[in-house]
Amino acid sequence: MMLSSLRQAPSTHFSAMPPVVQFNRIVLALCGIGVLIFLCLPVLIVVPMSFSSSTSLRFPPEGFSMRWYAQVFADPRWVRAMQTSLVLALLSSTLALVLGGLAAYGLTRGRFAGRMTIQSNFISPLIIPSVITAVALYFALAHIGMLGSFVGLLLGHTLLGVPYVVLIMSVAIRGFDRRIEQVAFTLGASWFTMARRVLIPNLLPSTAAAWIFAFVTSFDEVVITSFIAGTHETVPKRMFNDLVMQVNPSITAIATLLIGVSLALMALAAALRRTKLAAPPSAPEVRPPVQLLRQQP
Amino acid sequence: MKLLRIPAGPGRFTAASALMGRAASPTIWLVAPLLMVMSVGFDLPLIVMLGQSFVDSAGLTLVHFREVFEASAYLKVLASTFRIALITMAVCVLVGYPLAYWLRRLPARWQLVALAMVVIPFWISILVRTYAWIVVLGNAGIVNRALLALGLIESPLSFLYNELGVIIGTVNVLLPFLVLPLFAAMLKIDEQLLRAAETLGASPWTVFWRIFFPLSVPALAAGAVLVFILTLGFFITPAVLGGGRVPMIANMLDLFVNQMPNWDLASAISAVLLVVTLALFAVYLRLTRVGEPA
Repeated sequence: MMLSSLRQAPSTHFSAMPPVVQFNRIVLALCGIGVLIFLCLPVLIVVPMSFSSSTSLRFPPEGFSMRWYAQVFADPRWVRAMQTSLVLALLSSTLALVLGGLAAYGLTRGRFAGRMTIQSNFISPLIIPSVITAVALYFALAHIGMLGSFVGLLLGHTLLGVPYVVLIMSVAIRGFDRRIEQVAFTLGASWFTMARRVLIPNLLPSTAAAWIFAFVTSFDEVVITSFIAGTHETVPKRMFNDLVMQVNPSITAIATLLIGVSLALMALAAALRRTKLAAPPSAPEVRPPVQLLRQQP
Repeated sequence: MKLLRIPAGPGRFTAASALMGRAASPTIWLVAPLLMVMSVGFDLPLIVMLGQSFVDSAGLTLVHFREVFEASAYLKVLASTFRIALITMAVCVLVGYPLAYWLRRLPARWQLVALAMVVIPFWISILVRTYAWIVVLGNAGIVNRALLALGLIESPLSFLYNELGVIIGTVNVLLPFLVLPLFAAMLKIDEQLLRAAETLGASPWTVFWRIFFPLSVPALAAGAVLVFILTLGFFITPAVLGGGRVPMIANMLDLFVNQMPNWDLASAISAVLLVVTLALFAVYLRLTRVGEPA
C-alpha cells in the first residue's frame, strides 16, 4: 500500500555537481545499500539454509536437499501444529473481519457520541505491548478456568486482528460514496441487503486485504500464544520453544514455510490494493505509522 | 461519482440522508458486538490486572510497586530495558535517516526495489528474522568466519547471548517502523524550498542542515519514539538472542507468570510498563500531528 503512493520521486538532479557532492552521494549510496542488505540478511540466509543437505548450520549451505522439509512433514507434532495454526488463523481472522467490519461501518457512518473513544479502544491492542495483553488474558482466563482452552486462544488472536480490520475498513467505507447506499435504501433495501449487494461487492479488495492482515497477524503470533495456549501448539509457538532450547536445522525449513505464507498473502493483498486505486481519493489516509504498526515483537 | 462529491462529515448531512441513514442503518447496533467482545475480552482483563497491582490481602496497597522499585534485581532489569531501548532508538536514527534520505533521491524504479527491500522483511515473522541472526552471528557464523579469514580477529567475537546480539536483532526488526514514515515525510518536503535556498547561494551542506533536516525532524522524532516504545515491550528477540542472559521487562513478566508465579508482582510490572507505553504514545501522537500540514 505504501509502494504505490510513494512512487512520485522528486526528480531534481542538480546540474554541475562539485566533486565533494559527488563523493557525498557515493558515501550515502553505500550506506543505503549496506542498510538494505542488513534488513534483508535474515531472509537471504534462512531460505538457502533450509535446502542444505548437512546437519550443520553453516552458511553457505553444503549441498542441496529437501531433507529438512521431509523431516518436518514426517513429524506428527509439526503437522498438528500446522493444522492448529491454520484453523486458528482462519477462525480468528474471519471473526475479526465480521466484528471489525460491522463496527467500522457503524463508526464511520454513525453519529453517536464517543465514537473516537470507541475507535481508540478497538485499535489499542496494536499499541499496548502484546506481553501485557498476554499477562492480562492469562490472569483472566485462569480466573474463569479457561486457560489453555481453544476459545481463549481464539479470543486472543481475534483481539490482535481487530485493529487492522477496523483501520482498513474505516478508510474503505469513508471512501465509498454514501449516496449509493442511500439509493439502495430508497429502493427499499434493508441494511443487510444493502451491505450484501452494494457495499461488500464494492469494497471487496479492502475487505480481502483486511482479512489477510488479520490472518497473517494470527499466523505469526508468538507472545500471547505462548502465554495462554496451554497444550495447544501453533507453528510459531513450537518454533520459539525449540529455539530457546536448542537450534535444530529443521527450523530453517519451518522458517522458510512461514516466510512463504506471509509473502504470498502480502503479495495478494498488495495486488488487491492496486485494483482499488480507482476508488475516490477522498478517503483520508490513515496515518502511515499506525497503519504500519505490525504485530508486536 | 467522483465529480459530484458532497461533504458527508458529521453535522453536514442533508435532511434526506439523515432520514434515510437513521431509518435504514442501525449504526450503533453494528458497533455493539465488537464493543462487547472488546470490553469483556480485553478491557476487563486489563482493568482487573491493574486492580490486582494495587491490592493485597489487607486491602489497597502500594507494596507491590515498592517491591518492584526497591529490589535491585528488578530495578536492574528495568534499567537495562530502558538502556537497550535508548541504544536501539539511537542506532535506528543513525542508520535509518541516511537510508530514508538516500531512498528519496533514487530514480523511481530503483526506489520501488529499495522500498520493497524495506517492506518485505517488515511482513515476515519476527521470530524468523530473529532466528536467522543465530546463524549469522554465531561463533561459526558468517560474520565471525569472514572476520577470521580477513585476519581482523584471532578468536571468534561473541555477538550472541549478550546485549549486542539483542540490539542487532531489535534494530533489524524495528528499522522499518522508523524508515517508512520518515521517508513518506521526506517526500512531502517541498523541493522548491531547497531550490530557493540554493538560488540564494546556500551550499548543499547549508541547505541540508538549515532547511531539509529541520523539516524532517518531527517525523524522525516520531519514528524514534515509536521504536523506543516497541523495544520496551520486546519479548522474542531478547529471549532468543539474549539466551536468558539479557532479561528485559517482558521476559521478567514471563518469569513471574509462567515459571515462578507471582501474580501481584507481574501485575505491578505490567502496570508500570503500560503507563510508560501510553505516556510515550501520547508524545508520539503529538509529534505526528506536528508533522502534518495544518
